[in-house]
Amino acid sequence: MPKKILVIDDDPDIVDALTMILESGGYQVVTARDGIEALARLKTEKPDLMILDLLMPKMDGFAVMKELEDGRWSKYRDTPILALSSVREEAARRRYELESALELGVDDYVEKPVSPNVLLERVEGLVKKRKSVRSRMDR
Amino acid sequence: MTTDLTSHSSPEEKLRRELIPEEAALVARIGVFIVMRWIAIAGILIASLLAAQVFRITFPLLPIYIISACMALYNFVLFLQARGLTAEASGSVPQGLAEPLRRLIPALNHMPKATSPLIEKARVIGNVHVVLDLAALTVLLHFTGGIENPFIFYFVFHVIIAGILLHYRVAYALSGLAILLVILLVGLEYNGVIPHVHLEGFASATLYRQGTYILGIIIALTTCLFGSTYMITHISGEQRRRQREVVVLRERLLSEKTKELEEASKDLAKLKEGRRRLLHFLGIVAHDLKAPLAAVQSYLQLMLGGYSGKLAEKQRHMLERSSYRITELLGLISDLLDISRIEAGYIVQEMEEVSLVQVVQDSLENVRDPAKEKGIRLKVEMPKSLPQIRASGIRLQQTITNLVGNAIKFTPENGVIKLRVTQQTDGLHVEVMDTGVGIAAEELPKIFDDFYRGVDTEKAGTGLGLSIVKRIVEAHGGKIWAESPNPEEKLQRGSKFTFTLPKSLVLNRREKGKQSLTRRRKA
Repeated sequence: MPKKILVIDDDPDIVDALTMILESGGYQVVTARDGIEALARLKTEKPDLMILDLLMPKMDGFAVMKELEDGRWSKYRDTPILALSSVREEAARRRYELESALELGVDDYVEKPVSPNVLLERVEGLVKKRKSVRSRMDR
Repeated sequence: MTTDLTSHSSPEEKLRRELIPEEAALVARIGVFIVMRWIAIAGILIASLLAAQVFRITFPLLPIYIISACMALYNFVLFLQARGLTAEASGSVPQGLAEPLRRLIPALNHMPKATSPLIEKARVIGNVHVVLDLAALTVLLHFTGGIENPFIFYFVFHVIIAGILLHYRVAYALSGLAILLVILLVGLEYNGVIPHVHLEGFASATLYRQGTYILGIIIALTTCLFGSTYMITHISGEQRRRQREVVVLRERLLSEKTKELEEASKDLAKLKEGRRRLLHFLGIVAHDLKAPLAAVQSYLQLMLGGYSGKLAEKQRHMLERSSYRITELLGLISDLLDISRIEAGYIVQEMEEVSLVQVVQDSLENVRDPAKEKGIRLKVEMPKSLPQIRASGIRLQQTITNLVGNAIKFTPENGVIKLRVTQQTDGLHVEVMDTGVGIAAEELPKIFDDFYRGVDTEKAGTGLGLSIVKRIVEAHGGKIWAESPNPEEKLQRGSKFTFTLPKSLVLNRREKGKQSLTRRRKA
C-alpha cells in the first residue's frame, strides 16, 4: 500500500510542485492550505508523513506543532514531520525558524525552493523511521 | 520639620544625605569654634600663670582653674554634640535636641524657621555655646580684676561667633546680653555687693570705683560689640544668601537635566519602536518577494528534472538560464534583507557566547564541496582551543564562508587556500589567503563598497557579499582589510583578507564543549 503524505502549504504552486515530485516517487498525496485544514485532514486521512510549511496565514506551522503537543493528538504523535522552511537564507531569521521548529519536534527540514532529489531522499528517510518505530511497537 | 523621637528612618534614608552648602559651612564653623575654645582655655591658663609668675600680678588662681575646667567640660560636651550633628545629617541619630530646647527657651520660637532642621539645630547649639561663653567670661573677669582687666573686650569674640553662626536678631540680643553682664558685674563690684578682686601691680586700686572710667569702658565696649555685630551679620547674611542661591541654581539645573533625560529616553523609545516596525516590515517584504520566486524556481527545477516531459536542448538552456537568474535574484533579496538588518543594529541582538573554532569548522563545511570541485586545498592554521567570544556565530560563519568562498571563486584549479586564526594583543585575527588572480591595486580600496562587482563581472555575484562582511565585522567592533598580492606568497600573486575581532569580545573562558550551530545536513 502506498504511503500517504499530507502536504501543508498556503502557496498552491509549491503544493503543486511537491505533489508532482511525491507522486512520481510513488506516494499518495493529500493537501491542506493552512494549519486549521491540516489538523482536520490529519484526523480524516491519517497520513504516514506530514510536510509542513512553517510560515502560513491563519494558523502557521509553529501553531500546528504546538497544537499537536496537546493530549488530544497523542494518536498522531509519532507521525514524522518534515518542515518546509522559508527560502534559503544564511541569516538569523531562518535560524530562529528552524530552532523553534526543532524545539517543537520537527524531524527534519527542507528549504524552498525544493530540489526533487533532496525531497525524495528526505521523505524516504522519514517514512522508514516511522515504519521501524511501528514495527517495533507491534512486536 | 521632623523632630519626632519615635520616628524611625528606613535604611535607605539612613544613607548619607548630602549637606547643602549652608549646612556644611555651619557644621564646619561649629567645629572651628570648638577648637578655638580649646585654644582660649589654654590661653587663659597660660596668661594667668604668666601674669602671676612673670608679671607678679596677684589674683586668686583657684577660681580660674575651676572655670577653665568647667569650660573644658562643656566644650567637650559641645564637641560630642557637634559630632552628633553630622551623624544626624546622615540620619543615624534621631533629632532629640531641638524640641526640648525650644520648650525651655521660648524665645527661640520667635526666631524665623531655618531652611533645614539641621541648620536649626546648629543654631540652637550655637546659642548655647555663646551664652555659656558669655557667662564663663564674665565670671573669669570677676576673678581677674573686673574693669581693671583689658581682656574685658574679649566679649567681641563671642559676638563675632554669634554673628557668624546665628540669626542676626539673636546676635544683637547676645551683644546686649554681654553688655548687660558687664554692667552687672562692674555695677555690683562698684556698689560693693560682690567683692572686687584687685590686680596688684597692674592697675590702680581705685579704678573700679571711678565712674567716668567705668562709663568710658562701657561705652567703648557697647559700640565695639554692636558695631562688630553689625558688620559680621551683614557679611554672614550675604554669604548665607549666596549659598542659598547656589542651592536654587543647582536644583534648577537638576530639573532641566532631568527633563532633557526624559525627552531623550522618549526619543530612544520611539526610535526603538520605529526600528522594530521596520524590521517587521522588511521581514514581510522579504518573504513576499521570495515566495513567488521560490514557486517559480520549484517549477523550473521540476521541468529541468524532466517532470513535465522531455526537453529540447533550447528549452533546457533557457530554463537553466532562468533558474540561474532566479537564484541570483533570491540571493540579492537575501543580501538586501541582511543589510537592512545589520544597519538596524540587529546583529547586536544576536550576540552570545560563541566558539570561534566551531564557527570556523562550520564555515569550512559549507565550502568543502565547491573547493573539492576545483581541486583546491584548504589549509587551516588555528590553535586547538581559543577563548570564547561574545559574537553572532551565524554572522561570523557567514563572513568566513563568504571570504573563503570568494577565495575559491577567484583561485584557479588546484590552488591552495589558507585560513589562519591567531590571538594578538588587540584581539583575534582571522586571515584568508589564496593563490588566485589577486586584486588590482586601483580596485583594492573599492572592493568593500556596496554593489562592487570587480572587473570580471562574469564571476561576480550581487556585489554585496564583501560589503555585508564588512558590516558584520564592524558591527562586532573589528576591522577588515585586504592586501594583494598576498604578502606571504613568494610568487607575487593572490590576495590576503584579514579581519579582527577586538579584545573586548573575548570572554575569559575556554570553550567547554562543541555546540553545533548549524544543522547536520543542508538541502
